[in-house]
Amino acid sequence: MITKQNFKKITDYLWEIPKSFRPDMRVPARAYVSEKMLEESFKDKSLEQIVNVSTLPGIQKYALGMPDMHEGYASPIGGVAAINPKEGVISPGVCGYDINCGMRLLKSEHSEKEIKPRLEDLATEIQKEIPSGLGRGRKIKLDISQINKILEQGTHVLLKQGYGENEDVEDCEASGKLDWADASTVSNHAKNRGRGQVGTLGSGNHFLEIQRVEEIFDEKVAENFGLFKDQIVLMIHTGSRGLGHQVCTDYLRTMIPAMYRYKIKVPDREFACVPFNSPEGQTYFAAMAAAANYAWANRYMIAHYIRKAWKRILGERERLELLYDVAHNIIKKEKYVINEKETEVIVHRKGATRAFPPGHPEIPEKYREVGQPVLIPGSMGTASYVLVGQKEGEKAFYSTCHGAGRTMSRRAAVRKISGHRVVRELESKGIIIKCWSMRGIAEEAPMAYKNVDEVVEVVHKAGLSKKVAKLVPSAVIKGE
Amino acid sequence: MKKFEILEHKADLKIRAFGRTKEELFLNMLFGMAENQKAEIKSKKKIRRKIKIKSLDFPALLVDFLSEALYLGQVNKEIYFNAKFAKFTEIGIEGELIGQKVKRFGEDIKAVTHHDLDIRQKKDRTWGATVLFDI
Repeated sequence: MITKQNFKKITDYLWEIPKSFRPDMRVPARAYVSEKMLEESFKDKSLEQIVNVSTLPGIQKYALGMPDMHEGYASPIGGVAAINPKEGVISPGVCGYDINCGMRLLKSEHSEKEIKPRLEDLATEIQKEIPSGLGRGRKIKLDISQINKILEQGTHVLLKQGYGENEDVEDCEASGKLDWADASTVSNHAKNRGRGQVGTLGSGNHFLEIQRVEEIFDEKVAENFGLFKDQIVLMIHTGSRGLGHQVCTDYLRTMIPAMYRYKIKVPDREFACVPFNSPEGQTYFAAMAAAANYAWANRYMIAHYIRKAWKRILGERERLELLYDVAHNIIKKEKYVINEKETEVIVHRKGATRAFPPGHPEIPEKYREVGQPVLIPGSMGTASYVLVGQKEGEKAFYSTCHGAGRTMSRRAAVRKISGHRVVRELESKGIIIKCWSMRGIAEEAPMAYKNVDEVVEVVHKAGLSKKVAKLVPSAVIKGE
Repeated sequence: MKKFEILEHKADLKIRAFGRTKEELFLNMLFGMAENQKAEIKSKKKIRRKIKIKSLDFPALLVDFLSEALYLGQVNKEIYFNAKFAKFTEIGIEGELIGQKVKRFGEDIKAVTHHDLDIRQKKDRTWGATVLFDI
């Protein structure tokens, strides 16, 4: 059992469990948390799970936990591991089932005052336009050849088909296309699950929000990002839907027996991993990339349908410009200086957002001077944040938090508060809420989550990413 | 005998199922999963879907069986409360899932996980299993 005594305090916002804590640890385990959050973390298995991550073959420097970490399958949500591809492994469990779950933010040209009279109509129209996919799905099911194109070309194929604009591709992480994706590595089961779900929101903590920029923390960066006080913006939170889940399910099925063949021992089967350079590792890496491309295409099409709804209510000349789109469940190759040598590592981020610093070549040119936009959703009805990547973030493999993080089970939330009461409370704050399921609303009640303001404060003070703007919801649109 | 119960879990759905035999355990876990998909039934007409599963071992077989039911249910918009096994071994199942057409699912069970999976025969010779579902 891990206690506070096992930790070494590095700074007020960084705590370390040394490698000597357990004989199977290959590197220390580090948690970016305040002292109060650290004490809260002992309530679940997230710290033990970071220690488990530190045992993975090939892991470099530290296994990391972000301040929003909570217990996941095998590895925690809010975990980061950078693994040397030559001697190390790749693990679907350290990416998560919802491959490329992530955030997309659209900017309007309007202030809240201008939009308020039409807010209810906008929320209703957006809800009508974007199905959850659990009941009412997309009317058109794509065929397998269309799915294959999305898997290999991501957002690029949608742009070619006339959806969106050049900026929608350019201002997205990896331009919405990982070029090592290979559709042939994705099973027909996964493709079939994906056929009717491009442009669907899903359920659980996924949402669409019409938000208002409540506070600007950094004028210079906000100006570069095109954000201003009281501006109305739209946030999209979803991922690769059933397709991504099936890819993870399929590859766990492949990797569990393969792992025994490679004589790799892990504490939980969900940790299943194989050498990165093995045939199984390479195949999963290509399938994960294909699912990530599908997720970018999903958010891209949701943005398209939001624009349609927006124009229908406000007029054809209305524009919604993309700020950025970034994943928080993904595995990618990145380069870092390790032992004074530039080293390529396989960065696994599960519930953690990439946050590249100013000057990084992989971020769009228009943001290169200030750094990569980082999009952090709050829980339903609470604030969300736009942050920017920092040079100091290198110590965390340029990773930061991804949201608030659950503190209460869904059942406990339903027992504690009714969906109707959550709606009344949000409405009393002037927030419009559109949802098909009252139970879903209760499960996602703000009380079931950590305080996002505290989470963001930690990453800001720890130097992982810097606060740019605080966004508060005006209307929340949920699936089931 | 109780078919299944829901256990507390912070983010997801944890089901403990029971059975006098291994087959009954699998059927009760399938029933527990289906109950928790909270489906709105479209038609009461019985639907049958053939399944054939081969797995690494007995715990993996349970996950693979439930995953296949989840997959077939999602792509065909169906829910399966029952199954008939023509063949049932430690590592393989052949048979059919029995269910109904669905209008909508109230709960999106996205995946069946191996995390903290527990399957065992108890002292009284009955079987029990705990499975965590990603929702």
